[in-house]
Amino acid sequence: MIETQGLTRRFGPRVAVDGLDLDVARGEVFGFLGPNGAGKTTTIRMLAALIAPTGGSATVAGHRLGEANREIRRRVGVLTETPGLYRRLSARDNLLFFARLYPVQEPERQVERYLRMFELWDRKDEPAGSFSKGMRQKLAIARALLHEPEILFLDEPTAGLDPEAAKTVRDLIEMLRSKDRTIFLCTHNLDEADRLCDRIGLFRTRMLAVGDPVALKEEMYGRRTVVHLASPSPGIEQALDLPFIKKVERLDDRLIVSLGDPDRENPALIRRLVELGADVRFVNELRVSLEDLYLDLMEGRDAKA
Amino acid sequence: MRRLRVLLLKEWRESLRNKMVVFGVVLLPLFLVGISVYMIALGEGVGDPTASIVMFNTSLMYFLLLPTIIPLAIAVYSIVGEKDQATLEPLLATPISDLELFLGKALASVIPAVVVNWLAFGLFLAATRIVVGAVPLQALTAPWLASIFGLSPLLALFSVGVTMLVSSRASDARAAYQFSSFAILPGLVPLIVYSSQQTLVDLRLVVAEGAVLIVLCAVVLYLAIRVFRREQILTRWK
Repeated sequence: MIETQGLTRRFGPRVAVDGLDLDVARGEVFGFLGPNGAGKTTTIRMLAALIAPTGGSATVAGHRLGEANREIRRRVGVLTETPGLYRRLSARDNLLFFARLYPVQEPERQVERYLRMFELWDRKDEPAGSFSKGMRQKLAIARALLHEPEILFLDEPTAGLDPEAAKTVRDLIEMLRSKDRTIFLCTHNLDEADRLCDRIGLFRTRMLAVGDPVALKEEMYGRRTVVHLASPSPGIEQALDLPFIKKVERLDDRLIVSLGDPDRENPALIRRLVELGADVRFVNELRVSLEDLYLDLMEGRDAKA
Repeated sequence: MRRLRVLLLKEWRESLRNKMVVFGVVLLPLFLVGISVYMIALGEGVGDPTASIVMFNTSLMYFLLLPTIIPLAIAVYSIVGEKDQATLEPLLATPISDLELFLGKALASVIPAVVVNWLAFGLFLAATRIVVGAVPLQALTAPWLASIFGLSPLLALFSVGVTMLVSSRASDARAAYQFSSFAILPGLVPLIVYSSQQTLVDLRLVVAEGAVLIVLCAVVLYLAIRVFRREQILTRWK
């Protein structure tokens, strides 16, 4: 649904997006992560045909950027960083205005459908300016969905929302995924990205890493088994002589063992430890959070080292 | 055309909910009509027939100023309001074209300005007839009518063009309002010329003013259209 080759955007001498290569499939939830000023919003603006790239090319919803921009805008929905609603107009008038700018069949019915879906129907005639932050965000998401876009660009959809409203938004993303919509999600909420996204891209002016969050973590850190020992068992890490063990570290009463395939190798590891006289209390896998991965990549550290 | 109509209706619906805009569009013309009729009544009281004609002519000049003042409020709040509410990006993300957006914003200010001006002029004539018994037709000459009906759309267009240019750079409505005020200058030029000639306003003068205004409008609108491009709006507007 989204394909870019060397997509670049410069603002004078400053490079905001540098040679972005990306391929997002239909029905995929793609998380686009990066710090403030990384070029995420510029990327969304380019992909939504709002600003032109200064280099490279892209195809969005089957249309080439720069050649069919209006068609692209018809097929994508954009939730901007701020809800951007007409405060003096009612919720219904806000949505009706946008529905009529798109080729939406029966705009009134479509607006009613989304107002009901987001539980705003009872307040449809109240000005959007009187709404809470969460309600404004829901209204803005409804606006981005009104024309049933094939691709939805969401820029920080849960920023500033209370946990209940944020969950509503996350549930909505899950629901849209089940309807085969492609979602391009910009977020600073790494836990949200980890839970929702099929793949993530870590981006700072250029793409630093892209892939399935679990696979990315494995690729960066490998898989590690933590063996909790009941007694100190001094020198046991040196005695571990199994060929599949990549690295052993000791941390107090724990052994952190880097393995290639823990599902297959863990039984042999535990057997060997028991043979060596270790009192194994319990074993678990060391979980690396997406936050660790994000911070390591953003700070340019080589996690493997 | 459909999107243009949708945008126009949205602009007017929003304007009607803005007290500052409603004040500028409705109360100011009513106030000027009231002042004008009062002045004519005073002239009539003097007993000299030329006095009421002079007063009538002076009042007619207001209808060359109104089309430059009325659209200021609408255009300023229309553009600065979009910036203030952060609605420009969602709007630009729709399939609306740059030209439709520009025309929608411009016509949303020009149409009410011209219509309200003409309505105010009609109200002024009716009120004059009621207060002093008759409209001094010898003062209501063809050049005056040509000025009010022919020049006012051009004056409104110029005013809107200037306001759009200024508003694209301003982040608050009051600053935009102040800087846009010089858009009323073209309205002051015929006012000064006419007041020096009193009833001798002739058609050639009106045509010359019209020609100058067309050139000014073309220049201002050309610049405004250049500013009203999607990319410019998103990356350059403050």
